[in-house]
Amino acid sequence: MLKKFIVILVLGLLLSSATYAGEALNFTSTQMVPAAEQTFAKGVLLKGFTDESGVTAEFIPMEYHELFTRLSAEVEAKKVTISLVCDLHGGLDLMSAKGLFDDLTGITLPNRTFIKALEDYSVIAGKKVYVPWMQATYVMVVNKKAFDYLPAGLTVEDITGASEKWSYDALLSWSKNLNDAFKGPKLGFPMGPKGLWHRFLHGYIYPSYTGYQAAKFDSIYALALWKYLGDLLPYMHPSSSVWEAMDEPLLKEEILIAWDHTARVKNAVVEKPGDFAIVPVPRGPKGRGYITVAVGLSIPVGAPQKDDAIKLIDYLTRPEVQVKILENVGFFPTTKEAGGVIPEGPLNVLATGVLAQSGAADSVMVLIPSLGAKGGEFGATYRDTFTKIVIEGADIGATVTEAAEKLKKLFDEVGVSLL
Amino acid sequence: MISFTRREKNWVPYLLFLPVLIYLSGFIGYPLVKTLQLIFSSEEGKLGLENFITLTRDSTFWKALKNTLLFLITIVPLQVILAFLLALFVNSRFKGYMTVLYIISIPLALSDVSAALMSYNIFTSHGFLNKFLMSLGIIETPIYFFGLGLRSRAFWVIVLTELWRATPLVFVILLASLQMISKDYFEAADVFGFSSWQKFFYITLPLTMPSLQSALLIRTLFAFQIFGVVWLLSGRDIPILAGEVYYQQAELNNFRLAATYGFIIALICIIISWVYITFLKTKHLEI
Repeated sequence: MLKKFIVILVLGLLLSSATYAGEALNFTSTQMVPAAEQTFAKGVLLKGFTDESGVTAEFIPMEYHELFTRLSAEVEAKKVTISLVCDLHGGLDLMSAKGLFDDLTGITLPNRTFIKALEDYSVIAGKKVYVPWMQATYVMVVNKKAFDYLPAGLTVEDITGASEKWSYDALLSWSKNLNDAFKGPKLGFPMGPKGLWHRFLHGYIYPSYTGYQAAKFDSIYALALWKYLGDLLPYMHPSSSVWEAMDEPLLKEEILIAWDHTARVKNAVVEKPGDFAIVPVPRGPKGRGYITVAVGLSIPVGAPQKDDAIKLIDYLTRPEVQVKILENVGFFPTTKEAGGVIPEGPLNVLATGVLAQSGAADSVMVLIPSLGAKGGEFGATYRDTFTKIVIEGADIGATVTEAAEKLKKLFDEVGVSLL
Repeated sequence: MISFTRREKNWVPYLLFLPVLIYLSGFIGYPLVKTLQLIFSSEEGKLGLENFITLTRDSTFWKALKNTLLFLITIVPLQVILAFLLALFVNSRFKGYMTVLYIISIPLALSDVSAALMSYNIFTSHGFLNKFLMSLGIIETPIYFFGLGLRSRAFWVIVLTELWRATPLVFVILLASLQMISKDYFEAADVFGFSSWQKFFYITLPLTMPSLQSALLIRTLFAFQIFGVVWLLSGRDIPILAGEVYYQQAELNNFRLAATYGFIIALICIIISWVYITFLKTKHLEI
């Protein structure tokens, strides 16, 4: 009797686990890995999907190399257990190059207008590799007092709407006006050792002037860029060299205009949402260069429950879900519709600026190059060039030629083509 | 009582010494060997001086060396003179000298980062000093004491911060030394009609020389480790050797160059220590 009972029990358990395994949709992600973020992903994000669709989704956080190894093995063995993958653009691009993902062309997600630049990036070599899900970026923060000192011909709407008039030259004139009015520089950058100043140089001003981050490092356009930075120097707050995040200097009103990562200015906006505006960065001769940290959703080749995976993509990219993500983990939405449903307050101030920047018609979106351990050296080359040319007055031509060679060598060593 | 045979007596001392030897080999010897390996090997694993060549071809290395030596020759003599004067002052044992002693010693409890942050809050454009001067109507706009293109001003702010932070260490050593000098010497000097200057040059200075030597040695070695204050007040605007070790290791992930910088710091410290010990050897070791 006891034997029979055990056999039935074991069979029952096996059957139920098989049924469960059959139903569960495996969603692997290299993002939302920290414990608190996992709790949100499992307990709020996916629970909402399960409640609505009846499909159980399993959130499986893992590192990139782990995901790559597992997915490669599963695809090769034609026994894929992962239905949906979330990773950064760079990782998805690499995995797609190995033939691990389905082409998502033809998937329709109603009432969603993805930001054009992100949408364009998600199509790699003619294949729709991922659906843009989340983004993070760097922005300009303006204390509203500074709007009273705009140069002639430039309006607040020009700045917030990223019009052609909102250029680096306009920023120079504006900074000069502020300097004259307040008897001191009011423009600040995070140039401290741990600050992200190099991101501004390679990801913002370089693409704006040359169209590229490194490929045209010593071009004629780059010479104009370095001359421009020399002209801007008198209006940069001297303490910039020790600032690592711009929230404090903004709150203390040591500066009225700053550039930094959204996470590093969030405190200022959260503390005094009425005082600050997040605006798109200015444009240069080649457009409005900006960095985005793009996160996408891909479906592996031969994935089980593909229809449910599409349902999950549809759910995760809904405006209200994207807002929930912004509130909980600080990643910004990728759809224009999401901007309309963010409640009034600091997050709205931040998101409006981020969406205006990425939605600008002349935007030149760039991604941080995947250089691994050489990433530090990459940033240091830009910083050192700035110090030599702008602070120490070294010859522009000779300095950029030397730095360009260094950058080329660096990209060659890693085996990545110059961006 | 434990008794040992003659044979046991031979190896028992080594046995007792063994735990320390294992500890030192594991936590100092092994990392040291690995560091030397890093210093004298290239990325391809070839043995040689490639890292030294890379380092000396980089202009930042020479700037860092120059700045470190500049800080050394500015800060250490000023600290020693100041500490000597303060020690003599406190040693005169005036009324309330203990309170003064405590006040002077306060910075001993501060880390370099805390001291640098306090200094930052005093000297920044919106800091206490600028606010104070502006409230008195002495200045209309803030004075920038450090920042972009203001290296010489930043240099002096760093010197001032280091003087305030680290002088008490030299002061405590010298004061202890002064307090140990027997009054008999000064009474004898009075009998012979010595002036105050003569007492200082013929009694005080020679008898404090061993402590002075130790203080100089400690301060010089610490001056090579100067990092937090410079890092917080000027970033990499004023490169220094210890700062470059951190920068190469933590920011650029270049462990070889970081180790080479460290090796050069150690080498300079050894040379300076040898110079101090050789040339400042005192003839008056008895107090």
